[in-house]
Amino acid sequence: MTGSWTCGHRKNILKAIGEILMLALCSVIILPFYYLVVSTLKTQQEVALNALALPQKIYLDNFVNAFHNMEFAHAFLNTLLITGCTLVIVVVFGSMSAYAINRRRHKFYKGIMIYFLLGFMVPVQTTMVPLFILMQRLGLINRLYGIIILSSGSSTFAFFLYQGFMSTVPVELDESAHIDGASVFRTYWMIIFPLLKPITVTMAIFHVMGTWNDFLTPFLFLSSRENSTLMLEMYRGVGEFVNDWPTMMSSMIIIIAPLVIFYIFAQRFIIEGLTSGAVKG
Amino acid sequence: MKGKFCLKVEFPYLLFILPTFVAYTIFSIYPLFNSFLYAFTNWNGFNVPKFVGIKNFRTTFSDPVMIQALSNTIIYSISVPILVTLFAIPLAVILNSGMKTRNLQRAIFFFPSVPSALIMGYIWSYMLNSSSTGVINQILSFFGVKPILWLATPRLAMLSLIIVSVWGSTGWHACIYLANIQSIPREYYEAATIDGATGFKRFRYITFPMLAPSMTISVMLLLTGSLKVFDLPFSLTSGGPGYATTMVTQIIIARGVTEKLYGQATAMSTVFFFIIFVITALQIIIMKKREENLQ
Repeated sequence: MTGSWTCGHRKNILKAIGEILMLALCSVIILPFYYLVVSTLKTQQEVALNALALPQKIYLDNFVNAFHNMEFAHAFLNTLLITGCTLVIVVVFGSMSAYAINRRRHKFYKGIMIYFLLGFMVPVQTTMVPLFILMQRLGLINRLYGIIILSSGSSTFAFFLYQGFMSTVPVELDESAHIDGASVFRTYWMIIFPLLKPITVTMAIFHVMGTWNDFLTPFLFLSSRENSTLMLEMYRGVGEFVNDWPTMMSSMIIIIAPLVIFYIFAQRFIIEGLTSGAVKG
Repeated sequence: MKGKFCLKVEFPYLLFILPTFVAYTIFSIYPLFNSFLYAFTNWNGFNVPKFVGIKNFRTTFSDPVMIQALSNTIIYSISVPILVTLFAIPLAVILNSGMKTRNLQRAIFFFPSVPSALIMGYIWSYMLNSSSTGVINQILSFFGVKPILWLATPRLAMLSLIIVSVWGSTGWHACIYLANIQSIPREYYEAATIDGATGFKRFRYITFPMLAPSMTISVMLLLTGSLKVFDLPFSLTSGGPGYATTMVTQIIIARGVTEKLYGQATAMSTVFFFIIFVITALQIIIMKKREENLQ
């Protein structure tokens, strides 16, 4: 009896040590964010003296400075608009084509599917320059709707995710709706689409994180300040405050705040959505 | 239903496909073909494009900057997936071992993938700064290490880039493996325990082989992501010192968008396209084979 007790006891101690080690590793992982937050609450002299020390007294001027020098509200709304509109387009286009291709058995659809999947082999670098020329010709450079239209081309990624999930929705549902006289369009939107919710959530998380954080596309296609996204504001801020670190880091915090708040509230949801989608897809 | 293609029946389904088909054709396939086409011309946006044969390809292969960018991209795209996989799998196993704070740990390890790579790069560029204000050097000096020029020495800059990248994506990929580990049936482990397998043996003969599907996906995401990397080197080192961390994407933007050397830039893209095509195809074939052999 006592023997098993000590054995369990030792196991508990080992477990506790393991847990402490892991938490130590966690603090190493989180260190850059701690550094970021701490630096913004100090004066530049204090940062130079000891970067990791807690601030002697909280100094908020950096935030005020940063906020005044960037068009946060404007860039936030632009980013929100781009992310939201492209999400709707990609979900609608991608899921509809996945439905058609999954439900029809003709060889033609198989061919279309292979054509769509080819896109995964095409790296952005290959199409970047011709795409830039095309966008110029279409007059879509420096237009928010230009970027939104452009992103509809990536519906094939949504198609890919939906395609894998579509077979889990029984065909009998289509058939009974059809017998009741519902059109294909109605059947899809009233009956099938609501059943695709799990994969739509995964898709939405992938898309929101990717688009919100995307720098390359707006960098290439949006030039004027009024069309600025949060990432472009960041890039501008770095150029402007190259020697004023605390102000620059404050703008970083302001810029990453929306997504971090989103993450903190929907954390479990986000991780599970992203990973289960990846494993299934 | 099979074989026959009745337009009246298929019409609504064709309409369902149409938007994706049109958008994808215009914004992906059409530029891809244009890329192949421009690569054989001397077009610079102003002149009338003239066919110049393989001249642009010769320039690409004799351009030392391009060769360096190509080799940088390859070094980066081999190291990052290997290192991330090496760290992510043990991390996933540990996160699965039922610690009290496992949810908190998972949330923290995943966290670096939330803010954009651009901002991560800027933060680390301050931390790795070689002057006394760089926090990494401050920490090292505490242990008596002299200041290290992390971002100003070519090799160390590449190493720093890889480390930051691994720091940023290991947590997310551990979560992919974790989702897979949780789907392994318990009976396998029970049977192994009866057969006397413990600890490492259980990992070696059950967990690791069962992770094959998520490994294919994780490595594919890492590989394609690393091959087209732009934001992180752009903000961390801006490609420097010299061209030590310049990646192919950055060179193509410089030649194609800034200097408007469309022919040269698209020749580079074409070469890179075939390299990526071969690498990703090989990776998928090898890993799918591996999955089949293991199951």
